[in-house]
Amino acid sequence: MMNVEMTGLTRRFGRTLAVAGVDLHAGPGVFGLLGPNGAGKTSLLRMMATAVPPTSGRLRLLGRDPGRPGPRREIRQRLGYLPQQLGYYPGFTAAEFVEYFALLKDVPAARVPAAVATALDRVDLGSRARARLRTLSGGMLRRVGIAQAIVNQPDLLLLDEPTAGLDPEQRVAFRVLLRDLGQHATVVVSTHLVEDVGTACAHVGLLDQGKIVFNGSPAELAARGQDNGVGDAPLERGYSAVLAAARS
Amino acid sequence: MTAATAPARSRLAAGRAGLATARLLRLELRHNAMLWLLPVVIAVFWLTTYRKTMALPPLWSPRADSLQTGVVIVFTAPVAGAAAWMGSREARRHVTDLVSVTARPRWARQLASWAATAGWAIVGYLVCLAAVYGVTAHQVHWGGPLWWPAAVTVASLAAVSALGFAAGALLPSRFTAPVVAVAAFFVLALSTQLIVGSQSYWQVSPIATGPWDGGPDPGVATFYPYVPDLAIAQFMFLAGITVAVLGGLALAAGPGGRRLGRPAAAVTAAGLLAAATAAGLAGTGTMDRHGMIAIPALHDAASDRPIPFTPVCSHTTIPVCLNPAFAGYLPATAAALRPVLSQLAGLPGAPARISQAAAVYHQEAGNGVAIGLAGPQLTGTPPVYRLLLPDQLGGPPLTAQAWASQLRIGTGRDIVASVIGAGPGASRAQDAVAAAIMLAAGVDPAVPIPGSPPPRNGGPRPSPGLALGSPGLAAAQRFAARPAATRHAWLVQHLAALRAGQVTVAQLP
Repeated sequence: MMNVEMTGLTRRFGRTLAVAGVDLHAGPGVFGLLGPNGAGKTSLLRMMATAVPPTSGRLRLLGRDPGRPGPRREIRQRLGYLPQQLGYYPGFTAAEFVEYFALLKDVPAARVPAAVATALDRVDLGSRARARLRTLSGGMLRRVGIAQAIVNQPDLLLLDEPTAGLDPEQRVAFRVLLRDLGQHATVVVSTHLVEDVGTACAHVGLLDQGKIVFNGSPAELAARGQDNGVGDAPLERGYSAVLAAARS
Repeated sequence: MTAATAPARSRLAAGRAGLATARLLRLELRHNAMLWLLPVVIAVFWLTTYRKTMALPPLWSPRADSLQTGVVIVFTAPVAGAAAWMGSREARRHVTDLVSVTARPRWARQLASWAATAGWAIVGYLVCLAAVYGVTAHQVHWGGPLWWPAAVTVASLAAVSALGFAAGALLPSRFTAPVVAVAAFFVLALSTQLIVGSQSYWQVSPIATGPWDGGPDPGVATFYPYVPDLAIAQFMFLAGITVAVLGGLALAAGPGGRRLGRPAAAVTAAGLLAAATAAGLAGTGTMDRHGMIAIPALHDAASDRPIPFTPVCSHTTIPVCLNPAFAGYLPATAAALRPVLSQLAGLPGAPARISQAAAVYHQEAGNGVAIGLAGPQLTGTPPVYRLLLPDQLGGPPLTAQAWASQLRIGTGRDIVASVIGAGPGASRAQDAVAAAIMLAAGVDPAVPIPGSPPPRNGGPRPSPGLALGSPGLAAAQRFAARPAATRHAWLVQHLAALRAGQVTVAQLP
């Protein structure tokens, strides 16, 4: 079952071609999206999140066409999204913020309190549920962002730099959470941190200048760097080798 | 699915959606900027409107009018500003991306946020309304609260908040809220500057509660029913604006397909049509004889019939009878007129009763309003003197002392003149006798009437022949110095001749 299907997907912002004909298919599991700054990761994620429509190409999410209002609403009910820059309402408590998004995602009202509590517990914020967001640290806010993304138990979870600001202990816990979520849902994680990809992702896509230049397993990516890669870890060497090959 | 289970499922789904909306609204109510502004707004209301409104006579109509105008002025800027602040919240807090990918449509989110803002504003208003109407209910003697002004105020708050919210949503920035607050206040204030006469489209402004420049008038909606024509037009206008703005927000919310676009366009068009129709109706209004704006298309002829009432009367030698709505005024009125009435009691042609009458209103050039009596002051057999209390004549509010003085001097002089026949065209003897009676009643006839507006109905006033040192004034002082019984006996005997102009100053005892 493919939850994400895209063929020849492009996205332009004025004269800038942010995504230049991406073909990608992803089923349940954790998919890591790697790439340098400006590669088009966030634009691709925003299209998958139905935040912006593609300029051209074909996109189907959860077996539905996000270009049509009815199916788009159905997709959004089963979608979780954490943007790179998490905006928030400082006066809300963590629980209220997550509840707000549960309601916006059409989680049945009777199930909302339990869903909110579960989501906060999963990011280890159950004890800070009543804390106002303005009082939380950057890492905690990031975890609140993750909680709002998973509160509706999404079938498609899109996370843009989810581990930015998390301490090492939280990062490890988050990887465990990712693997758990990936057992039932398609989780797309955009990140700079290749160690996140290595430990949590079953599949990796490497994006450069709006195009997918690698699509395979972390082991395959590491293998690409055995001879000519630059970096301290196998994945880093694979990453740099693929990019160098794509640009040559 | 069977035919029986389909409606049940539909009801269940509707119930779930309602519960979710209620939870969303609860969150918005908890975190709404208007909630924080309410104490300030209510404090400003108390300082600027409550005290002014409660200083008006304890009558429903003037207080309801004053409350409507005052609340709209006090609430408009903060409500518009708070709504703009809430409307711009998503963009200011950089959550647009996050919320735009949720299942609930943008207009539904915005509707909840707007409803919370408008809801708090209305709660604040209801507190003000409860205070004014609650205290008034303990003070009034007749009639009941007017609800149309309250409905207009609620609609006004809804419209102002919708406009502010739309401005914030469409032009989000941290400066939008203060700019919108200031702009809303000036637009509201300037809208009334364009009202000229009673046939002005601008009467649709919620500040106007009747003839503009007329102000809250105790004489209105007392003898005749309250005419809600203008209030209905204003309510329709404000509701139309609210609906049009909310529909416009749904249209601006982005591609929602035919499912959302067409109904939103229809709602916007219906709102605009209602608002335009209401403004057009307001332009057809005219001030009726009872001081209210009548709009032919909305007018109920039943409101032109006087309200039957049993007057409340004093136990003075000549009874003073007032409309029961003014029952609280009776002791002061009787006390102010008693000295004069005791001088006139028993004289041929003296009024058998002083009876409060309804004022008649006439639109003058611009926004001027003439208020007076229809017909002569003394009518019927036995004669009844028709009285207008100072409050019924418009003008600035009077202190209790000025009010009593105006009644004692102005109305007392008029009553005496109506019996003696003094005033324009009267003989010097008539003027001298009238002045003597006033002197005997303890009122110097040369004293100006405090706070009195110029005579509006051609009523009699002291003659210039009673200047200081004149033979007329000397005769008046001489006649006033006579014992009361002597004066009374002379008047009983000579009043007819005096009224006919057959008595000279020299013939006065």
